[in-house]
Amino acid sequence: MKIGNVDVKVSIISIVVFVFFTIFLFLASVFSPEVRSQLIWLIPMLFMLLVIPSALNYMSRSHYADIEPVYDAQAKKIRIKLINEGMVGKPVRVEGVVERVHFKFLNRPQYRVADRSGEISVKMFTSTDEDVKVNDVVEVIGQVIRRYIVAGDPVINCVSIRKIKKS
Amino acid sequence: MVNIPDEHPDQPNNSVHRWLEIAVPLFSFGGAFIAILFPMLGISLDFHVPALGCVLASCSLTYLAWIRPRKDIVALTTPLYSVIFFTFPIDYSTAIVLQVFYAVSLTILLVRLKYRFGNPGTAASLGKELGGSLKTYIEQTRDAFSDISPETAHSAAVVFVRFTEGEYDDAAQSSKSVLGDGEYPDSVSPLIRAFGIIREHTTLLHKSLPRPVTYLTFSEKDSHLLVKPQVPSHDDDMEFYTALDNALLLVYSAAWNNSVQDRPHLLSCQAFAQKLMSST
Repeated sequence: MKIGNVDVKVSIISIVVFVFFTIFLFLASVFSPEVRSQLIWLIPMLFMLLVIPSALNYMSRSHYADIEPVYDAQAKKIRIKLINEGMVGKPVRVEGVVERVHFKFLNRPQYRVADRSGEISVKMFTSTDEDVKVNDVVEVIGQVIRRYIVAGDPVINCVSIRKIKKS
Repeated sequence: MVNIPDEHPDQPNNSVHRWLEIAVPLFSFGGAFIAILFPMLGISLDFHVPALGCVLASCSLTYLAWIRPRKDIVALTTPLYSVIFFTFPIDYSTAIVLQVFYAVSLTILLVRLKYRFGNPGTAASLGKELGGSLKTYIEQTRDAFSDISPETAHSAAVVFVRFTEGEYDDAAQSSKSVLGDGEYPDSVSPLIRAFGIIREHTTLLHKSLPRPVTYLTFSEKDSHLLVKPQVPSHDDDMEFYTALDNALLLVYSAAWNNSVQDRPHLLSCQAFAQKLMSST
């Protein structure tokens, strides 16, 4: 679904929740007259299960679209090995191969990207423009953060991940 | 090339860690065992007493998770769950089942912690003191930097710290300030070459430029000070980046051996230096 320039993606989990409660509400309304009398506000609430995640996704993706040119201009292209705790807060650009992908179903994908010098976790807090899969060669732009904000190894808080060569 | 033995840093608190690892199943299952045994013996017992075993086991697990360089957030938060599960009033028989399941969960988390999150950190890995192969390298190259000036040593520290922080332009400028003097005896010429290599790399990194066709490397006579062999290779990338790793480690050693006031800053960058040492 496209709103303006933003391609809004609802996560699978949100759709599953919506379908589950739709079936639940349908069955409840069939067997209970009390539920039927409340449908006037239960149905809008049901749709809010899709509207709220869509709105959040729209806001996060439009924000990411706004900041991407800033990071694109500031990020220095470096090898993964050079990323360390001293670089927390620095915008970086790395190129590498995607070795693992997690949590795509939550619209919060996490990637393990490797180049010849090393590997690093890349976390994204919204959905991506492209469907990035294992073995894709990608360019990642983002900011170095600690895995658990105040502790943990350095990871990249991804602002943009683009395929630069098809696997 | 400097001959550095493959060192495994000592684990000074190994026995304490071992006891704490034993304490996790011991306290949690022990508490559950007491909770089952006492009613069978006809002794009335407040459930919170055996549940304390799970709380203590959780605290042990949290400590074991905290001292590892890689943090396991699940293990770190177990005391919170133990308090939530066991402080609220609950039926005695239900509480026993809960405690047994909790003890099993803590044991699984302990096994997961040991196999997936590495060994506990040492003083070196926690950045409190110099350790491992880096320490050996610095000790072995101490004599080579005996006659460099404090200013050059300080500049070496600045260059390394700025490079670690990703401030490549600052690192390039600091390298340039050293190279501008040009009044050093032959014995420190590898260090000058190191500054030159770092300046070249940092200038390229600052402008996000690719590797040039021709680039600076160490000479054959510098090889006794280098961590990684600088052999001519068909792989230009490898040769190019090996020169940078060697240059950074050389600069780190020069700074450590001759600029005592900069050691706290260098210690904070030790993890990066260790990474350079161990990487291929």
